Amino acid sequence: MLRSIYLVARRDYLGYVTAWGFWLGLMITPILFGLGITLPSFAASQTPVRYFAVVDGNGAFERAVEIEMQRRATNTARGMIETTSILVGEGETRAALERFDAAIEAGDTPQAALGEASPQLAGVTIPDGNYALVPAPARDIDGLRPFLTGEQTVDTPHGPKPLFGALIFTGEEVEYWSESTSLSSITGIARRASNAMAREAVFSEENVDPGILERIEARRPSITEKLLREDITQSAEMTIADRAPQFVAVGLTFLLWTLIFSVVNYLLMGTIEERSNKIFDTLLTSVKLPHLLAGKLIAVLAVSLTLMSVWSLGGTAVTVAGFSAMSGEVRDVLGAGVAAALDPAMLFPALISFLLGYLMYGSVFLALGSLCDTIQEAQTLMTPLIILMMVPLFMVTIAMTDPESPIIGAMAWVPIFTPFLLILRMPADPPLWEVFGQLGLMTLTTLAILWVAARVYRAGAVHGAGVNDALGMLKRTVGLGRV
Amino acid sequence: MTHSPLILDRATKQFGGFTAVDTLSFEVPSGSIVGFLGPNGAGKSTSLRMALGIMTPDQGTVSLFGAPPQLETLRHVGFLPEERGLYKKMNARSTIAYFARLKGMTASQARSRADELLEATGLEEFARTKVTKLSKGMAQKVQILSTLAHKPNFLILDEPFSGLDPVNQQALEEIIREEHARGATILFSTHVMEHAERLCESIVMMAKGKKVFDGTLNQAFDALGRRARIGVETGFDLASALATTGFQAQAETSDADDGSTWWTIALPDGRSAQNALRAAIESGAPISGFQQEEARLRDVFIALAGADAPTGDGRIQTLEEVA
Repeated sequence: MLRSIYLVARRDYLGYVTAWGFWLGLMITPILFGLGITLPSFAASQTPVRYFAVVDGNGAFERAVEIEMQRRATNTARGMIETTSILVGEGETRAALERFDAAIEAGDTPQAALGEASPQLAGVTIPDGNYALVPAPARDIDGLRPFLTGEQTVDTPHGPKPLFGALIFTGEEVEYWSESTSLSSITGIARRASNAMAREAVFSEENVDPGILERIEARRPSITEKLLREDITQSAEMTIADRAPQFVAVGLTFLLWTLIFSVVNYLLMGTIEERSNKIFDTLLTSVKLPHLLAGKLIAVLAVSLTLMSVWSLGGTAVTVAGFSAMSGEVRDVLGAGVAAALDPAMLFPALISFLLGYLMYGSVFLALGSLCDTIQEAQTLMTPLIILMMVPLFMVTIAMTDPESPIIGAMAWVPIFTPFLLILRMPADPPLWEVFGQLGLMTLTTLAILWVAARVYRAGAVHGAGVNDALGMLKRTVGLGRV
Repeated sequence: MTHSPLILDRATKQFGGFTAVDTLSFEVPSGSIVGFLGPNGAGKSTSLRMALGIMTPDQGTVSLFGAPPQLETLRHVGFLPEERGLYKKMNARSTIAYFARLKGMTASQARSRADELLEATGLEEFARTKVTKLSKGMAQKVQILSTLAHKPNFLILDEPFSGLDPVNQQALEEIIREEHARGATILFSTHVMEHAERLCESIVMMAKGKKVFDGTLNQAFDALGRRARIGVETGFDLASALATTGFQAQAETSDADDGSTWWTIALPDGRSAQNALRAAIESGAPISGFQQEEARLRDVFIALAGADAPTGDGRIQTLEEVA
């Protein structure tokens, strides 16, 4: 028995891992993951700077716009300092931010303040953002028109460029002129600048000190998150490390989802190939049908474990390579993440969920493949499954903000979602009876699905049943056959 | 192994309300070559699938080497299904070795056996070629070699000649004879009677799910009855002339263009066509022609399978053709 299962599993496994599609998936997934992280900032850095000008009678609005632009540069610089926390840790980042704020307070430009506050960012230019203010080349829209249409250009730090937009303050309203119909942040800049200008004017009329808002802001008490710890000698301040189990749960759920649904397709395609190639009869004189099924499921499970191992080793290698450059705090956060992942309370439910989830979905795909001669046929059956598969992803987004959400708790009892939602709930310490109850229900459902899948597989492989037979069977089951 | 390789005893298989195989019983003696004949849809493939345990009979029993079909006994069986198929991305050598291993051979035995078979059939240069790159004929050869790789005691071949060109059909006939000479028992289904005539010692015929004949080739010819044809001038009553000689003559429906009528003479046991001709001459018949009818399996088949019988080219005969 074991030999038959081994031989089927070995052939299928080698068939999968020697196909170029496997290697493509192996390489492309981490690349896509990396791109997903870096692409937004890369895209932002590649967006051309759009120049705009302000036409203003007395210069008050233009000044307000300049202050708003400086505020934006300051915020960008603060964001850049915050990103260095992965290297220098949270404590050093906080100190750098304080140094930056002090330099700005002292009248430094954001660029100069950045160099003073963060040695890691000294010499790094603050991106212009998407918009930059230039002196207006004309005083009205007729004069500005050729600059806005590109017939004439204005001088910029990057050479002569056309104007993307212009703000004209008439005293009553701010007009935004542009050739582009796309939504522009320039209107947002104008809105904030006009707010500041109006606020200053009203404060002046009412004899209110314009610095009152800053003083209010300075007096506002800070909010610190504290955690009730069993060990009262530890600091109560909540850290990223405290949230590590939650991040780990979300990460594991994504990993489980990605792994299951990136490999179950192998089962579907492999079975369709065997059915269309008429191999079943030859195989079934050498291997029992349950052994054939088991071999196929094991082969794809091994493919999945191979992917997981390679990615884990790659991730570990990258972490080890960058370990020396990490601050103690970052190492602590990483350590907390690893500890959370290896915590038996997280690890065992995760492993069981992965195994049962794979068997549940894998056997369904295997059964569907045995009914289909072509991929087109399979697609008609796949659509409802794909929709069903998306539900756990929606649940992940809810769980990221509220792992104790009642809807997560309720949906975790639905066995086809349990593999994903049980892991998501673990950081919230659900009652033990719920964990065992959901694991038990999931186990029973998996066994039932395996039993049904084996029958469907037999119908497809031995009796040549097709998609229409399966739909007919379904109709008869729900009583539509009598209509 | 002392048991017969295969015994079907009143095996019946139904699909919904349709009876594909109806109380089928026959035995394949050890060391024999048995032809399993019948028109398309007669129930041959279903019967073979029951014989192999792929399907279980609704009624009756199947005995493979004295026991119900199970993997242990199936290791001694090589099966070539009617609908051929291989893993397209595997190469020829790996394919043969894989199926041999599934039948119990070790990895090294399977690989060396694959090399041996590929060399013997002139396919050694294609050993590392993926099945998808092989010609249809070569792929069929690889499948046949996969069936033989583990040196089975019993070969079940379902329509083995279909899809092969005449040269490869001849080659396959040779392979079947070699396997038989090696000691293997062979059961093969076909609806092309010429292969069965050349290869079989005995035949089992099916039509519409039922067995219509089970016996040796000679018994099959005897079942049809031996005949001779004698042409006489139209108007002469040959039946009356031979009435006292023990031969029965029946006039054929249409007269020949040369003004003669042909009569079919049924030959009783122990009497030859020459005896019938001598009796006709002695009766004074004005003889214009004589034919000794050589019995062909196709005629037996048509007689037994009736309107479902196929023609030599595999086409189902019309009722007029059968008549």
